[in-house]
Amino acid sequence: MNFTITRQNLHSGLASVSASIPSKTTLPVLSNILFQAENGSVWMSGTDLDVAVRIKVPADVRQEGSLTAPGKKLQDITKELPDQPVELATMGSQLELKSGRGHFKLNGLPADEFPTLPEVDFDEGWRVTGTDVNRLIHHTSFAVSNEESRPILNGVLWELRDGAMRMVATNGHRLARMGVPAESGDTSSADFIVPPSALQQVQRLFKKDEVLEVARSGNHLGFRAGAAEVYTRLIEGTYPNYDQVIPRDNDKVATVDKKALESAVRRMAVVASDQTHRIRLKFESGRLHLNVLTPDLGEGQDELEVGYEGEEIEIGFNANYLLEVLRYMPTDEVDIAFKAPERAVTIVPSEAENLDYLCLVMPLRLLD
Amino acid sequence: MTRRIHVLTDVVANQIAAGEVVERPASVVKELVENSLDARASRVEVALMRGGKGGIRVSDDGIGMGREDALLSLDRHATSKISSSSDLSDIRTFGFRGEALPSIAAVSRLNLDTREADQGVGTRVVVNGGLIGTIEDSPRQRGTTVEVRNLFFNAPARAKFLKPVSVEARTVSDALTGLALANPRVSFMLTSGDRRLLDLPAVDDAAARVSQVWGPEQGGALILVSTEDTGLELKGLIQRPDAAKPGLGRRYLFVNGRPFKAQKLVQAAERGYRTTIPQGARPWMFFYLQVAPGVVDVNVHPTKAEVRFSEASHIEDLFESAVRSALADQMSSATLDRELAAPRLLVHESGEQFKVRGADTDAQMALFIADAEVGDAAEGQPVTELAASRPNLWQVLNTYILAETRDGILIVDQHSAHERVLFQRLMEAFEAGGQDGQRLLFPLTIRLTPPELELVEELQGLLDRSGFEVEPFGGDTVIVRAVPNPHPYFNAERAFREMIEELTQGSELVRSAKNQHEKIAMTFACKGSIKAGQQLADAEMQELFDQLFSTDLPHHDVHGRPTIIRLSATELARKFGR
Ligand SMILES: Nc1ncnc2c1ncn2[C@@H]1O[C@H](COP(=O)(O)OP(=O)(O)OP(=O)(O)O)[C@@H](O)[C@H]1O
Ligand SMILES: [Mg+2]
Repeated sequence: MNFTITRQNLHSGLASVSASIPSKTTLPVLSNILFQAENGSVWMSGTDLDVAVRIKVPADVRQEGSLTAPGKKLQDITKELPDQPVELATMGSQLELKSGRGHFKLNGLPADEFPTLPEVDFDEGWRVTGTDVNRLIHHTSFAVSNEESRPILNGVLWELRDGAMRMVATNGHRLARMGVPAESGDTSSADFIVPPSALQQVQRLFKKDEVLEVARSGNHLGFRAGAAEVYTRLIEGTYPNYDQVIPRDNDKVATVDKKALESAVRRMAVVASDQTHRIRLKFESGRLHLNVLTPDLGEGQDELEVGYEGEEIEIGFNANYLLEVLRYMPTDEVDIAFKAPERAVTIVPSEAENLDYLCLVMPLRLLD
Repeated sequence: MTRRIHVLTDVVANQIAAGEVVERPASVVKELVENSLDARASRVEVALMRGGKGGIRVSDDGIGMGREDALLSLDRHATSKISSSSDLSDIRTFGFRGEALPSIAAVSRLNLDTREADQGVGTRVVVNGGLIGTIEDSPRQRGTTVEVRNLFFNAPARAKFLKPVSVEARTVSDALTGLALANPRVSFMLTSGDRRLLDLPAVDDAAARVSQVWGPEQGGALILVSTEDTGLELKGLIQRPDAAKPGLGRRYLFVNGRPFKAQKLVQAAERGYRTTIPQGARPWMFFYLQVAPGVVDVNVHPTKAEVRFSEASHIEDLFESAVRSALADQMSSATLDRELAAPRLLVHESGEQFKVRGADTDAQMALFIADAEVGDAAEGQPVTELAASRPNLWQVLNTYILAETRDGILIVDQHSAHERVLFQRLMEAFEAGGQDGQRLLFPLTIRLTPPELELVEELQGLLDRSGFEVEPFGGDTVIVRAVPNPHPYFNAERAFREMIEELTQGSELVRSAKNQHEKIAMTFACKGSIKAGQQLADAEMQELFDQLFSTDLPHHDVHGRPTIIRLSATELARKFGR
């Protein structure tokens, strides 16, 4: 392998790939980046075995070939190189780097030790816009579970349907769901459970205005646009029937100023128990009364004017869950809908019928 | 020559709890050594022949007696220690009955050899079965020596009950050990034949005496107990929970310098250890109680082995809470240090005048005095305060958290630590009504065995107050609609299953609980706490650390295991040969 590449291309290629390299690993080759030089361009790949990123950068290839070399070290050197062409070549098991009078040799590992990336046929897939995908990821992936006993909930459910797609995430205590219209190609509908770390790479690498090709191969999903590719292992299993637990009969609705509620909840949270983070919301006609009482700590009360006509009802919440959900609500006002203190509460953006976004928070049981 | 001894009037004599004083060599030694201590001896030597059955000699360097007193001391009810009935309510000496010498003399051949400091010559009295034989000058130094031979020569019925030599010698040694612990500033020596059983040079404090008797490792395993109350001061040394083992626990109680037995107080102290030691462990304990006149009556038992407190249950509570608060201290945590300095405990010895503060002393003032005293007593001990209010924390092996202290490092077991936190929280929550439950979007359906199902039904109320909202779902299945949410990695289903299984099948932990509430809180803590192997973010470690130190017993988990192990800078320096 022997090629010349601009410093800029080398740098941006390394930057794109190195975010997928695990910081700690017991498998040395995973701290390396795989270089594959073929006519007119070089592919760089990195993976942590769950998610892989592959980038194509233009280069003047004199001799085709491949090698892996330490990603972090290469990145650190490249950062400090002067802006002039860089020559990279294989020297036995080493990668030789020349730039002006600078000359480095880094110990590499043979390319065949690098994990093979899944083969995905992008002709057999879907086309979605970067804008839509990024939006769905942004508004839902925060809600995945961190607890490892139900791996399915550690992923984001991505539903592709004819004319629409949706993402859903939940940890069983709160849930986020967003949908957008999407022109599906000719392919059938599909459900994927995608690790959030893969979605992070997608968000990072693909620009809003790009059209993404998405395709599945066995247990893997591939994303491709321009010169970048992301591959991920899918989480296997059936996602719980979330649709069934989203209440349709929450007939009491309060319209609340999002900013005001957010900061009121944040104030309450200061005095909430650091274990349960419990605060209470009491909806009364025209008013929302917030209060918190934590033995050994203290108490707090506050009140907001809200649009609410229904009967008085008090609901306990984990303040953190409320805050998370509010943070992602895209409108100034939100509609909070509920039925009874122990039932699921839904929160949606106010007056945004064309926006298919819903968050759900399960209440805390109030013992009195 | 001043006469000190007088014969008590019958009125006073009749108020004294009388009975058999002399049962065996150990009781002779106890009486004679108590006399030596009452005579303010600084050195007491005891020699046994054939375990005391052949002969007992007790010599001291105390104040001695003049000739007249020497003779009088052998009369019944002759004492220098009290004179009127009212003295009985504030006895500061071991002796007060004037019974011991005549009782011993009556059943043996006894030589009394004594000299007062200001006398040119001493006195030697030879007594035979209670009859005074010769009285002659003796050339001895200041002090007293009593020699008792042929014990029970004229009381064969009692001689019959004597045990083999080794057993009698051990009983003597035990009795003398008690007195030696009460009087660390007196030196004691015990020989049996030509064997030296105890050799205890004078030391400053009680812990040093423990080290002399049982070795420095045992002294280093002790922590201080200190508390005060109206008319009463309790100090003590108790074993660190990690050093407490099953088997023979050494337990010694002293009130105003007098050894006594009180199973109830020992049990109260053991209650103070609850949850910090495994079932069956028997921690050592040495308690030194100083009480004001009237609080204790020592005149209730013929050999003074037991005493009566005017507010017994109050004193039991005090023992329990004193132990509890000693175990809340950093010094009670387990340690990797190998050569630990014993704590220092200065005790008020018998006969010493000691003033216990009355009820009228200003409470704020009391706090300062107590503080100053504790600080003084703990001198020479490492200060293991945290180096900063927010020390740097490192997670190791995804299981332990390391923190720097002013004097070394702490190793915290994240699971054990969180157990202590959850246990205390749930117990407090029970008192306040219950613990919050997070309602679940997808309720858990859980199959149980018939005995488990029965248990869940029985405990439903308590489970509910723990945050688990459980309903029968028909057949062998229950549905769990809400669960506690103690940390972000909490696996509710697994915790619930394991809790129910352990509660149904029983375990050491479950058996150690004193009631149903504790049972639930302990199993919940055990199954619901952060697991070993769980990687924690910095903020999570910090939170756990803060929560742990806000509990009452941060150094001990609920299984009787440590949550924290200390490693001092001193030990590190030793290991590195600095
Ligand atoms: N070793 C000693 N040194 C000095 N005086 C002694 C010694 N032993 C005894 N005496 C004197 O002899 C008296 C009688 O001793 P004895 O032990 O019989 O009675 P007690 O100590 O007064 O009361 P008790 O019967 O409760 O022990 C004591 O009060 C004390 O004055
Ligand atoms: Mg006496």
